[in-house]
Amino acid sequence: MNISYKNLKLITCGTFAVILVAGFTSCGKKDLNSPGFEFMPDMYRSPSVENYGTYIIGDDTLNSAMLPVKGTICRGFIPYAYPNTVEGYEQAGLYLKNPIALTPQVELDGEALYGKFCVHCHGAAGLGDGKVGAKLPGPPPAYNGALKDLPEGKIFHSITYGKNSMGNHASILNTQERWTLVHYVQKLQGPKTVVADSTAKAVLTATVVEKIPSPVH
Amino acid sequence: MKIVNKIQKFLFSYITFCYFCTDIFVIIMSLSCLNTYKIRYNSMHNNLSHFSLKPFISAVFLLFAFSFNVKAQDGAKIFKQNCAVCHALTDQKLTGPGLLGVAGRVPKPEAEWLTKWIKNNNKVIASGDAYAKTLVANNGGTDAMSEFEFLTDDELKALVAYVIAPPVDVTPLTTTTVGNAGEVVEEAKGAIDPLYLLLGSIVLLAIIVGALRSVRHSLANSFNKTEGKPEVPEMTFGQEIKHWMSGHRRLVGVFGIIILFVGMKSCWNACYNLGVYYDYTTQKGYKPEQPIKFSHKIHAGDNEIACQYCHNTVEKSRHAGIPSVNVCMNCHKGIQKGPQYGETEIQKIYDASGFNPKTGTYDKPENPLKWIKVHTLPDHVYFNHSQHVVVGKQECATCHGDLKKMTVAEQKTPLTMKWCIECHRKTEVSMEGNAYYDKIHKALKEKYKGQFGVKFTVESIGGLECAKCHY
Repeated sequence: MNISYKNLKLITCGTFAVILVAGFTSCGKKDLNSPGFEFMPDMYRSPSVENYGTYIIGDDTLNSAMLPVKGTICRGFIPYAYPNTVEGYEQAGLYLKNPIALTPQVELDGEALYGKFCVHCHGAAGLGDGKVGAKLPGPPPAYNGALKDLPEGKIFHSITYGKNSMGNHASILNTQERWTLVHYVQKLQGPKTVVADSTAKAVLTATVVEKIPSPVH
Repeated sequence: MKIVNKIQKFLFSYITFCYFCTDIFVIIMSLSCLNTYKIRYNSMHNNLSHFSLKPFISAVFLLFAFSFNVKAQDGAKIFKQNCAVCHALTDQKLTGPGLLGVAGRVPKPEAEWLTKWIKNNNKVIASGDAYAKTLVANNGGTDAMSEFEFLTDDELKALVAYVIAPPVDVTPLTTTTVGNAGEVVEEAKGAIDPLYLLLGSIVLLAIIVGALRSVRHSLANSFNKTEGKPEVPEMTFGQEIKHWMSGHRRLVGVFGIIILFVGMKSCWNACYNLGVYYDYTTQKGYKPEQPIKFSHKIHAGDNEIACQYCHNTVEKSRHAGIPSVNVCMNCHKGIQKGPQYGETEIQKIYDASGFNPKTGTYDKPENPLKWIKVHTLPDHVYFNHSQHVVVGKQECATCHGDLKKMTVAEQKTPLTMKWCIECHRKTEVSMEGNAYYDKIHKALKEKYKGQFGVKFTVESIGGLECAKCHY
């Protein structure tokens, strides 16, 4: 009787060995595309709509990352009056003034913001020598060079809508942050050449302003 | 004897019970695992096919290869300073049209017309030039080009010469070859999952055991027949196992105990990794393949873009924020080739944003990108980024690891409650230099003098209260 069961004994031992080895190897390896075990997924994933979620409700798919409903604005938001056109740019340069007074704290804030949002293209000193700027088809012009006499309104307008290679930064910087940045950019511009500024103004008032419609609110 | 028997019986039933429990555990695990997979893979994109991009050979530029001279060098400098912001020398449209083959397009004599146009384009338009009018019409009725009256005649001459025939070696974009991309390490695919091996071997063994059983039975019976013994009735599989087990109690006991402990240990380990996207033993975290092969190393590391540029809500909101495509486009409107995958990966941003790199406008349908969230806290935990980054002044790398070195974002910390609490216990609160806290800080230090040692940690201002995070 015992002899005839030896096979079974061996087989059982073999099975155990295989199970153990396979069990250990499968534990050691981890699929990096899988987050692992979630014991109660409904405690991880909220039934309420969270940021960046995709929710399948019946036959509808709802992405929570969406643009606001057309025609709505968020509380306290003041729409920007000047349109994204050449005329709007010139007009902003003439009439738009910085509502934030320059204080040492504003300058520090501006420097911090500049270090996060501008420096990779425009460079630490605003010479257009940032690491990303070098990879652009054309590097951004230097603040103390071609942009030396750019009025604050035009700087704000450019940050808001973007200019040339630069994209619009209104989605990542609010109005206050943009004006704070304008102060710091003006610091990088250095002192203005006064004469050129006034003549440019005179030319612009004569040519451009007459054909501009009133600012859109 | 009776006691030994009883112990054996108890052990046997205990082992069976453990088996049963483990089975249920495994079933629950696999069910929840399936559930997770369903959620994960539902949100995943179509499989990313990446083919090697062949180097772009700009044969057209051979035309200009021989027109290298000193004047063009000066022109290059002037071009870069004044024109390159809006114009590329290729057919790529930036703010202004690409200047490839511009000499063939403008009215003859081209050098004279170009000089006039660059100097004061508004005058050319005002003079009723037909080609200038078509240019304005093609640009949507507006002419956004600046006037360059300040350029001297010599400078203009050099610039025009450069624009008409740019030397190949200073041409931007086309000379940056795609071929010298870094090594692309493909993960070995086709390796068999050990789980399938295990299942396969079990099935195989079951078949072998089943076959051997009937063979052995008939052999035993024929042996009994020749010996003149009574025929053994055929037992069912279960009966036979029971019979065998009662004959080999010691073996079964030893193996049972081994299996029990191994099972318990692996269950214990599995519990540690339950809901944790991080493996303590291998020190590896969740590292999913994203819809775009975005590299934090290239962006935050090599190009030194601040984390906050893309994750710009980190200082204002509970969420750090995933950048919307327009943030990508702030740079990738101009940068259309990457160092590693060339145009293929950046094209995916254009597909998402509806950008047409040929015309430089957004004239295609938009398709939202579905990034896969790596760092997830369960719904019952409240975590606020702005609180930790602005008030607590924590670096991103404290919790997320050094992403400046990661090609694919990976969870580098366990993000468990233990981990949170450990940090809250040892992180000191700094309220110095903040006038708002001067009084409170002083009072707290006085009140808890000696109670928390020298340190004044997050714990001592209530950072371990349950309701701080669970409410």
